[in-house]
Amino acid sequence: MKNIKKTIILILALCSFSGAFSQTKTIIRGKVIDQKDKSAVIGATVVESDKENRVVNGTVTDIDGNFVYQMKNPVNSMKVTVIGYQTKVFKANPLKAVVIELVSSDIELDQVVITGKVKSDNSLTNIDDRDRAGSSTKVDLMDMKDGGITSAADALQGKVAGLDIISASGDPGSGSQIVIRGLSSIGNNKPLIVIDGITQDNVPSSFDLSSSDAQDIGNMINIALQDIKSIEVLKDAASTAVYGSKGADGVLLIETNRGKMGKVQFDYTFKTSINFQPKSIPMLNGDEYVTLQLEEWHNARGVFDLPREIAYDKDFPDFYNYSANSDWLGAITRNAVTNDHYFKVSGGGEKTRYFTSFSYVDEGGTTINTSNKTFSTRVNLDYFLSKKLTFTVQFNYYNAKREGNMEINNRNIRQMAYMKAPNMSIMEHDANGNLTGEYFTRNFDKTGNYQGDGISFYNPVAVANLGKSDEAVNSLENSFKLKYTLKDWLIFKETASFQYSGSKANKFLPYSAIGSNWYDPSVNKAEEGNSLFSSFKTESQLVFYAPFKTKDHELTGATSWSTNQSTNDWVDMQSNRNPSIKIQDPAIGAQINWMGSTLVEKSDVGALLNLNYKYKDRYMVQATARADGNSSFGSTNRWGLFKGVGVAWRFSSEKFFENSKNWLSESKLRLSWGTSGRAPGDDPQYPRFASYQTTNPGSYIQNAAVVPTSIQLDNLKWENIMSTDVGLELNLLKDRLYIEGDIYNKLTSDLLFKNYNIPLSSGFSQLVYMNGGELSNKGWEFMMNGKIIRKKDVVLSVDFNISQNVNAFTKLPQNFNNEKDRTIGNGVFPKRIVEGEPIGSFFGFRYKGVYASDADAIAFDAAGNKLYDGAHNPIPMTFNGVYTFKGGDSKYEDINHDGKIDLNDVVYIGDSNPSFIGGFGTSLRYKQFDISFQLHYRVGFDIINSTALSTEGMNDRNNQSKAVLNRWRVQGQNETGMLPRAYMDNPANNLGSDRYVERGDFLRLNNVNLKYQLSPAMCTKLNLQSASLTLSARKLYTFTNYSGQDPEISADASDPFWIGEDKANTPPPKMVTVSFSVGF
Amino acid sequence: MKKIFNIRVILLFLALTMQISCSKYLELIPPNGLIREEFWKTKEDVDAVLMGAYQSFASMDGLLFTYGEARGDMVKADPSFQWGNEYKLMQSNIFPDNGLCSWERFYKVINYCNEVIQNAPEVKNIDDTFTDFQLKGYMAEAYYLRSLSYFYLVRIFKDVPLILTPSENDGANFYPPQTKGEDVLAAMMKDLDACRPFATDGYKTLQEIKGRATKASIDALQADISLWNFDYEGCIRYADKILPPLNKLFALLPSDRLFEIYYPGNSLEGIFEFQFDNKYNQLNSTYGMTSRYAYQYLPSQRAVELLSFKLGVEKKRGENVSIAMVSVDNYVIWKYAGMVPDGKTERSGIFTNSCNWIVYRLADIYLMKAEALSQLSRFDEAGIILNQIRDRAEVAPLSVGKSVTAYEDAILDERAIELSFEGKRWFDLLRMGRRNNYSRKTKLVEILITNVISTQKRILSAKLTNPLGWYLPVAKDELERNLNLVQNPYYNY
Repeated sequence: MKNIKKTIILILALCSFSGAFSQTKTIIRGKVIDQKDKSAVIGATVVESDKENRVVNGTVTDIDGNFVYQMKNPVNSMKVTVIGYQTKVFKANPLKAVVIELVSSDIELDQVVITGKVKSDNSLTNIDDRDRAGSSTKVDLMDMKDGGITSAADALQGKVAGLDIISASGDPGSGSQIVIRGLSSIGNNKPLIVIDGITQDNVPSSFDLSSSDAQDIGNMINIALQDIKSIEVLKDAASTAVYGSKGADGVLLIETNRGKMGKVQFDYTFKTSINFQPKSIPMLNGDEYVTLQLEEWHNARGVFDLPREIAYDKDFPDFYNYSANSDWLGAITRNAVTNDHYFKVSGGGEKTRYFTSFSYVDEGGTTINTSNKTFSTRVNLDYFLSKKLTFTVQFNYYNAKREGNMEINNRNIRQMAYMKAPNMSIMEHDANGNLTGEYFTRNFDKTGNYQGDGISFYNPVAVANLGKSDEAVNSLENSFKLKYTLKDWLIFKETASFQYSGSKANKFLPYSAIGSNWYDPSVNKAEEGNSLFSSFKTESQLVFYAPFKTKDHELTGATSWSTNQSTNDWVDMQSNRNPSIKIQDPAIGAQINWMGSTLVEKSDVGALLNLNYKYKDRYMVQATARADGNSSFGSTNRWGLFKGVGVAWRFSSEKFFENSKNWLSESKLRLSWGTSGRAPGDDPQYPRFASYQTTNPGSYIQNAAVVPTSIQLDNLKWENIMSTDVGLELNLLKDRLYIEGDIYNKLTSDLLFKNYNIPLSSGFSQLVYMNGGELSNKGWEFMMNGKIIRKKDVVLSVDFNISQNVNAFTKLPQNFNNEKDRTIGNGVFPKRIVEGEPIGSFFGFRYKGVYASDADAIAFDAAGNKLYDGAHNPIPMTFNGVYTFKGGDSKYEDINHDGKIDLNDVVYIGDSNPSFIGGFGTSLRYKQFDISFQLHYRVGFDIINSTALSTEGMNDRNNQSKAVLNRWRVQGQNETGMLPRAYMDNPANNLGSDRYVERGDFLRLNNVNLKYQLSPAMCTKLNLQSASLTLSARKLYTFTNYSGQDPEISADASDPFWIGEDKANTPPPKMVTVSFSVGF
Repeated sequence: MKKIFNIRVILLFLALTMQISCSKYLELIPPNGLIREEFWKTKEDVDAVLMGAYQSFASMDGLLFTYGEARGDMVKADPSFQWGNEYKLMQSNIFPDNGLCSWERFYKVINYCNEVIQNAPEVKNIDDTFTDFQLKGYMAEAYYLRSLSYFYLVRIFKDVPLILTPSENDGANFYPPQTKGEDVLAAMMKDLDACRPFATDGYKTLQEIKGRATKASIDALQADISLWNFDYEGCIRYADKILPPLNKLFALLPSDRLFEIYYPGNSLEGIFEFQFDNKYNQLNSTYGMTSRYAYQYLPSQRAVELLSFKLGVEKKRGENVSIAMVSVDNYVIWKYAGMVPDGKTERSGIFTNSCNWIVYRLADIYLMKAEALSQLSRFDEAGIILNQIRDRAEVAPLSVGKSVTAYEDAILDERAIELSFEGKRWFDLLRMGRRNNYSRKTKLVEILITNVISTQKRILSAKLTNPLGWYLPVAKDELERNLNLVQNPYYNY
């Protein structure tokens, strides 16, 4: 062990310095030894510093601890530094060899207690954390890294009031959606992520737009979880105004670990987890399915020639292929294992501190053939050149390989597994019932299958195992920071950062997966998409402190200028009819089907001025103004001015609370107001320009034909967000109890409507963007943190948070067409935006159960009397005048009592915005044991259960859930909870109604952790710094009444008409993790 | 100390350099793709947008067929086609959500023309090679296409928004109310009068002479609009500009070469034809709507009665030119599907979708003039023209009773035969129905309800006496997008 340490020290030391020459003749000699055992210290750095404490030159000790050094200036001071020892200054004596004894710094390191001001180095302002007037919450990740959490978003879920985090899907690498204080825009709701002061605005542009909902913020944090020290969430506009338009949706400030002064330290953590898929909805087996199908046919057509697939016809060549009892969902689901290795080295001396880490995570998905392997490394180096000059170099590399499954005709394999007929077998049988060894697929050359063609109704197991949809991501970030103290009160900082990220996606679907010929254009199709992103950012900042002599006044501030330039380059190729399934690359000899490329450049600049004034440590005023220029806009609206003002009153420091120290410690009241803005999103690019394109076919007679395809947007401007916040922070009972409450009001005006419909008489159908309307978010937050027991051996703490957000469209633009889609029919919900209702409201029919008999399906007036026609016969209830309801059909409320169920009976039936979100948890430390658990809840929101919609309709050939076993069968049957009758192609039994709108309320046990830490005494014995063993479980149990598989549904706000639909994505798995960590 | 000073200078310099040329830094234009800032620089740009307008108009040929024929009595729907929007139109079962009520594609053409009319003069200031003569020629073509577009719109919808400036930016007024159809046409006539002198007849290729606006095509349009406005003197005046003896560019084809009008097209008789050429992927829709296996439009019973060999009247322009018998008593429309007047050889290969859409041809102009003359009671002159057309088709001359109505009917029938399936029939009927304050509207309604299923005949024959029912409603979607539009009252229920 010691040898390794020495070798590394030697290498590091040798790397740091090279020889030096000088003209002056002051030569000194000496020997460096350990004070304790008097052994020679190899590789200690001997440096000469001038009076500004700037290193002039230096040397290192040799294998015997000796050094010889020629001084530049005999007046300069000399010192010896080496990692693991305290620095020692000595007097140079050219006449005599000096012996320098170094004291080990180990003991001292343990005793470091951080006191005094905490100032986030990340921030662009110059305020102490405790003086902030804005609303923000900081979460320390140091305690959580050993647990079963898989991402930063995971760690924050349920921890911060007002922060809504929803997993996009349980598939590896699919990340999460993060919303701070409600949806404030139509699409584009993405908090800004700032890692160590560098804004991360690389939105990975997927080459496949259909899967873009999986691209999210979670993927933007391309660093190993263990590297993160803390995450701070900035919520109100007064805090985010510093980041101007980029911070409109809140800011997540991420701080990574850095090297600390002291001996070199190695840490290794190994985590292994088993991921369990939650139980899926029980589906019909093959026999139940066939019975249902027979009933559907009979109800619809009476006596009918049965399709051979469900007729139990022994002479049918595919008899064996259609008499199986396949569990399709079971066949595509598995328990998976995730392994995580993390290694880091950190340490440093007075002049240099380093932190470097390597992480490798191999994550398996619970759907077959899904996985995500990531490798990342980070190097953080801090150089303290002199008292005045410091520079920092950061380097981060990230590599991910994601393996997924093909999605065909917008159906992923899980959706397919739900609908696939269970009487079909997975593997093919011949006419005699022997397995052929192939998957059972049918397409063009053969008969198709009972449910339809082999492409729309594919075999999900075959597609998962034979097809591929892989993605590889490489990203690199390099930044350089310099800090120079010009005067005592003035500091200059310069940051330059370069980011590069490339991703490559490959897809291939062989003909054997679909049961087609190789020349069928839909198969043997290879697709490759490459995208490259690069950006260059700079930031120059002047930080100043006011020259007041008295302590009562304190004025600080900062001004900065930042630039950001990015390029996105994208190429996509598709070839089809590859002659062999081995040719999976579109570049090899196949027929090119489609090619496309784009190059997009963006740039923005920002100028910031921030002033903070504090009087007597009690009254604080903070003001920020920022001007942002963005290349998305035309020259007239290019600049946006955003501002924020915050005032805070630390009433606990007032005289009249002097005697209350027993129960009241540092507490403050804060008030903030600010504006922020938002520029249009990334797609489409360059929206403000009128573009011209060739027509199809591109010519008339033999002349080229070009036409304008979009309207120039001269009025495109910043979306404007104004927010106010009142907050109270209380520290009670000697810091045992911390309470924080906030009330806020956020109003978005000049909303950016994308693809805004305009009259066709203009020659166009849409404006790419239009500003108009208002969207409001109002809410409150409450957080509580109690350290109930604080003893040496026992520490018990609890935390709780809750928040409520109310969202509504308060104003819609003039001429706004509030109905996007007025289609009604099975499985269709008409889409509307209504003034006063929140974004993501649902509209549909009201479901009232099942008509017990034919005689019940008649119309009533508002008073409940039967309606009669001229001949005094009761008027039958119809769907849109087309279909007459009969016994066993679904009953919908006839809102206008006209005897017709039509568009006029569509009403508001739900809302996908939660009323309350939050979480609570507790942690207990007893001696060497740590126990903690964390719960997360989301209540008061609705989900459209699309899985139920497609598995309880009983009007097509899709498989249905076990719930349909309780269905209407005979006239007069009237049971509670009974489903309508089975009826093939019934036009109205399964309309978009509140039958499928369910409360999504849930309370989830997010994390349970049990950790054992080896005692310091044991560690010393084993020559270790630390060692621990953790057992943890993630998403272990969910309390919910929701009947679908998982109530955690991502809210895709890009379509304001359609949010909160459970599309049977893979739900987040339960995860049990064992982790072992050792430091030496 | 000196060194530190240097560092300071360098740092400040660094900070300063970043602040210069800020506006340039933010002025990013798409590296690939064509934008307005880079466009409208040369006459080739003007030419390209003009061609875009032609091509977009041409691509509406299927729509023009439907608007011109569906409600008339010359076509019927194939049984398998009896569910779509077209069938509902034939049945006069029209609701504002019918896709055919959308005027989108006409206004696209109008916008392209407006772009040319607005931007071409500015291009001339930049491009030195752009002569005044060329500019005015291009402008005349744009005015022509815009006028033709509005003429169709007024005949289909009656009152429509009159938009004469391009939708260049989001500051434009997208919400105009409708303008009265008469006023729209009056504006168009004015434009056409003004631009006619600059229209060229000197295109280099035959396709361009027939496929782009010439003086003659402007005259033809003006004659047509005049006739629609019942300005008979005007119609005769404009028609005479094209007809011999004044104009010798066009001639009626002899009867045995009649099919050359359709194949290969661009005949001596053609005045303005939207050009299609399968070779350049410029495909028409009419082949796909009328060919034997199209299962869309078929000749109606009345069309078969008028055109088939059975009655033995039409020897030249009936069967094997207008229609063809594919099996016993089974007819298809032949003008767009046939390659030879034998009723058997279908278009194939690069000729499959190449048949032009004929907007105006000489026989049409002759019959327009005859109609105008007869309305002015100049029966002898009208009779000569009528029989000139019949003579060319080797049909026995007619002797029509000297009354306006008799001539009106005779000419209407002649046009039905001569211009069958050329998108003229419905507009001819509409002109008849509107004439003299709807004095003959019962005849139009009679024809309209021949298409209608028996249960609806009585209701619709009463309803359709309201002439507003002859026009299409404003599409529901458009009405919701533009609150300044007023729905055709016939459809307000």
